Formats: sequence, C-alpha cells, structure tokens
Amino acid sequence: MEIANYFVTTVSSLAGGFATALQPINVAMLLVGVILGLIIGVLPGLGGTSGVAILLPITVFIAHGSLPGSNATTAIILLAGIYWGALFGGVITSILFNIPGEPWAVVLLFDGFPLAKRLGRPGLALASSFVSSFVGALVATILFTFFALAIALQALQFGPAELFAVFVLSFATLIGLGAEAPIKSVAMLALGLLLAAVGFDTITGEQRLNFGQISLLAGISFVPVTIGLFGIGEILASAEEQGIGYVEKLSARLGLRDVAQAFRELRKRLVLVLSNSIFGFLFGVLPGHGATAASFLGYGLARQYSKNKENFGKGEISGIMGPQSAADSAGVASLVPMITLGIPGSPTSAVIMAGLFIWGLQPGPVLFVEHQDFVWGLIASIYLGHLLTFIICLLAVPLLAMIMRVPYAIITPFIVVISIIGSYSLNNSMLDVFITVAFGLIGYWLRKLKYPLAPLVVALVLGDSMERELRKALIAGGGNPLYFFSSWLATVVLALAVVLVLIPLARSLTRRRRPAVVTA
Amino acid sequence: MATAAAIVLIAAVAMFDSRAAFSPSAGTAPGDVGSRWYPFWTATLMGIAAIVVAYRAFTTPQAAEGIFAGRESIFSVLKLAVPMLLYATLIGGVGWKDDATDVTYTVIPPLGFYLATALYMGGFAWWLGRYKVWWVALIAVAFPFVIFAAFELGFRVSLPKSFLYDRGIAPF
Repeated sequence: MEIANYFVTTVSSLAGGFATALQPINVAMLLVGVILGLIIGVLPGLGGTSGVAILLPITVFIAHGSLPGSNATTAIILLAGIYWGALFGGVITSILFNIPGEPWAVVLLFDGFPLAKRLGRPGLALASSFVSSFVGALVATILFTFFALAIALQALQFGPAELFAVFVLSFATLIGLGAEAPIKSVAMLALGLLLAAVGFDTITGEQRLNFGQISLLAGISFVPVTIGLFGIGEILASAEEQGIGYVEKLSARLGLRDVAQAFRELRKRLVLVLSNSIFGFLFGVLPGHGATAASFLGYGLARQYSKNKENFGKGEISGIMGPQSAADSAGVASLVPMITLGIPGSPTSAVIMAGLFIWGLQPGPVLFVEHQDFVWGLIASIYLGHLLTFIICLLAVPLLAMIMRVPYAIITPFIVVISIIGSYSLNNSMLDVFITVAFGLIGYWLRKLKYPLAPLVVALVLGDSMERELRKALIAGGGNPLYFFSSWLATVVLALAVVLVLIPLARSLTRRRRPAVVTA
Repeated sequence: MATAAAIVLIAAVAMFDSRAAFSPSAGTAPGDVGSRWYPFWTATLMGIAAIVVAYRAFTTPQAAEGIFAGRESIFSVLKLAVPMLLYATLIGGVGWKDDATDVTYTVIPPLGFYLATALYMGGFAWWLGRYKVWWVALIAVAFPFVIFAAFELGFRVSLPKSFLYDRGIAPF
C-alpha cells in the first residue's frame, strides 16, 4: 500500500472510529470509566490493573447489550477509560499527600510533592503533571493511529513460527528488562504458563493437570486470579504499608493562573516532553513494561539533559513533566501490541485482552479486518478519553482529593466486596471466589518476596495461544525444530529474544567482576 | 526459601502428572508433541528456576529484620485477611452432602452475598472504624442495598442468595 493511500485509509478509518466513539452510550461509558479510573487512581490500595480486573466481568453484560445500544466497543471504551483515568489519578495523591496512588506515580514523589509542599505550589505541580500527561498521551495516540494498521497488516502475514517467536520475545523482555531478579521472573512466567495449561488441551482435547477435578476441566479462569493477585493482593500490601490510620493532607484548588503557568513551563520544555513522549511510546510497546518503567526512564532523561540538575528533588518542574509525559505515552503504547499482535504490553492491557477473549473477539491483526468498528472506535476513544480526563482533572482536583478522606474501615471492605462480586459474576461460581481469595494471599506473599507478578499474569493470558502456535509450528514442520528458523523474521525475533535473556546474565557477571577489581 | 520449596513441589506434582510426555504415542498428528509435553517442560523450567532462587537465598546473607517490619504490620494484614476469609466462607456456608444417605449436613447455613456483606461491612465499621451503632447499621444496610440495586436490577447479575431466599422468606 502506498504511503498516501495508507494515510487516507488511516484518516478515514479514524473518522469512522470517532463516529462510533461519539455514540451517546459510548461517550457515557467513557465518562463513567474515566471517573472510576480517577477514583481508583487516587485510592492507594487499588491500582489501574485491579480496577480493570474487578470491573471486567461486568463488561460481559455491557458487551452483550445489557445497556441500550451497548456492544463490545462500549465495553472496551469503559475499560480503557478506567485505565486513562488511573494514569492521571495516581499522580494526585503523590503530589498532595506524598503517597503514590499508582506505581508509575512513585517518581512524582521526588519533585511533585516538594513543589507542592516546600515551595507551596500544589496547583502548579498538579497542572504541570496533567498538561505533560496530556501531551504524552496525545503524542502516543497519534503514533498509535498511524502505526497500528501497518503493524497489523504485517502481522497478518505471520505463520505459527513467527507468532511463536513473537511470544518468546514478549516473555524475553519480561525476563531481560524486568526490575526484579530475572530468575524470579522465569519462575513466575513458568507458573503462569503452567496455570494456563490446566484443563482441556486445545489441540487434542485431552484432560491434563486437573487431578480428576471436574471443576478444573475448563481451566483456571484468568479473571479471578487477576482480581486476587492485583485487587486483594494490593489491598493487603497497602494495609501493611499504611496500617490503619489517616494521612497528612494538603489541599489544592487548580486556578487558571496555575494552568496558564503550566502551559508556559511546557513551552520551555517542549523538546523534553516531546522526546520523552516518543521514548515512552517505544518503551511502552515492549511487552510487560508499560508506564512504571517509562516514568523512571523519563525522570532519568529529564535529569540527564537538564541545565538545573541541582534543582532535581527540590520541586523541579522538569522532574514532573519528564516522567509524566513518558508514563502516559507508555500507558497508551502498551495497547499497541495487544491490539495489533495479540500480545499485551502491560498487566493492565493483559486484563483488557482477557476481556476481548471473554466478549468473543480474537485479539491480534485479524481485529483490523473483521472488527474495524471496534478497533477504530477504541483508538478514537483514546483521544476523547484523554481530553475528558484532562478537563475533569483540571476541574475536580479538590473533589478527587476528598476521596482520600473516605475512612479505611469503609473503603477497604468495600473494595473486597467489589472484588468478590467481580470474581463470582463471570461464571456464577463460588470456586472462583475462593480462587480470588487464595490468589490474593499468594499475590501479597509473592509481592513481599519481590517475585514479579507481571510475567505470571501475561503468561496466564498468553499460555494457551503460545502452546497452540508452538505445536502448530511443529506439526507444520513435521516435528523438525529448524522450522522455527524457517523465515528471516522468526530467526531475527528469536535471536533478539536470546539477547534479551542474556542481558541480565551479562549484568550479573559485570556486577560480580566489579568488586573483584576494587579489592584487587 | 519456603516459597521456592513450594514452587519446586508444585513443579514436581505437575511433572509427575505430565509424565506421559515421554510416551511414544504422545501426539495425534505427525510432528505433534502431545498434550503433556508443554506442561512437563514448563514445570521443569519452573522447578529449576525455583531451585536457583533457593540456592541464591541460601548463599546470600539475609536481612536481619525478616520479611515483616514488626508485629504491628502482621496484625494489620491479619485484620484484613481473616475477616475476608470468613466473609467468603459465610457467603456459601459450610456443610457437606453424604452421597450414601443423600443427607445434607449444615454447619453454617449459606448467608448469601447480601447478608454476608451486611455482616462484613457492618462488622468492619464497628470493629476497626469504632462507629456508633446507628452508623454501623446504616453502613450494613445501605451498601448491600445499593449493590442489590446496581447489580441485580441494573446489570441483572444474580449474586448468591441466602437460606432465607431458598425458604421463600426474603428476596436475598
């Protein structure tokens, strides 16, 4: 396809997407999602992933038309809205209360809180964060719009060897670029793949790993596990970290003066914000990372190229705008591999991807052919969702900050109740409720021991598909393992995966050598 | 160390269950490796990774303060975890059916979602929130009512009902 034709096709598809996204039911659900996401982002005990996981079962009813005019597009717009809201909402508590509402807002403790408290400019700190988040998200959405179709068209040519190689690459990035010990990532990855293998084998139909239990024949459902790991697990971790008490609070009201100054500060740092947005996008596209790693990368880049390095940690605006633009850009980018290749870029997009399976859709390039309304409606809703989130944030900061005043004794059991509803309602199964509670305890424990949860979740979602492609490739190649290297693309991707797994090994080797040099 | 040992145990059980991976007739199509090959090698990988984690934990000096910061942090978690387990148990009740005699023995009748939620939310407000009785009563009634309206009437999601519902006494 020529570039001009490609551009015209993309723009006209996006216009169709806006027509879908602007339907009243979709706008209403986007608004609901964004508000829920902002609330979830503000609450320290609940993250974007758990919020999306808890509400996932409800979207089944929305996708099947329980609301007038609703369909699968409405459902994904709601879930994506929660994600966008949480991306913005997490920063409010970091800046005002020195408590990160979300992992990607941790980095804002360095300069956001000092600007708010020490320099007495909470409004400016919040406005700077929202403005840079909005720009980061906008840049990422534009890149998403113009690259998604190209990636999907390329991916449509993939056979089982290429698809298997892409799965391996996504797991390799989780191991090689993860923040925790790589060997723990391997253990969690394998656990996720093993859990995904429970029940019927999709190729031969044989039973496996169910130990004679009929209730396990259908496999271990992804939803109760994720609600447990993230919803209940986070609440337990939060209970331990904060105890049962109240936090010191700053109040803030965003005035026009703050917003105008934030835009002036943005103009001074436009190169930083735009370049961090692009870096954030590239980082977010890599499976398994998303916004948190990008936020730290963004902070590092902002500090590295700043002329005022000494101001970092004392309320430097670049220390807010740099990470925020990268984090929001990565958050949007994490949906790109999920939609185009069927590989989630972050735990939240893994949960959204599970939603696609539940609604009867197959994530991946085929979506661009068979469900254009769905894909382009989602992409258009990203523009609308961020605009809506930005406006709500500018107007409703005092209200959102008040959420933190809801007492622990009410909000915590309420989150548990909502988690239980979420896990039960998908299959009307009490077994799922107990799976949720059990994985809540397991997730809390794994978190304490610094076992990463992202590889477990991503492997649980992708396990079935990966095994299917592996075996299809073996059947196609008559059992010859060299079939995996039958195309240049599969070979390059597999080689890249090997390099990514070798990175942590090289890192640990250099770490061991350094002290030896010192002592010698 | 105990966590790594538990992972090794899970891996061993999965490997034992998948031992047919080595059966000559494993696959149904030429070139296929069969249904047990993938779980077997996944479990093997998991077991090896857990052994390496355990070895590193054994050979690396551990922090003196242990996993929990203190007794208070353990209690903070238990205060949430124990009521949550009770709550999940109360929803479905406790009992069993003797298949030989076809008699059902009930230790705790199923309270269903709404009654259990009222107890759980009210109990939490009373115990940890130390609210006055009328606030506790309001929380215990209002939350299940709002959830009933939103889920049963709004989304038409049917949540588990109590023994009172089974006997036709209450709508929940």
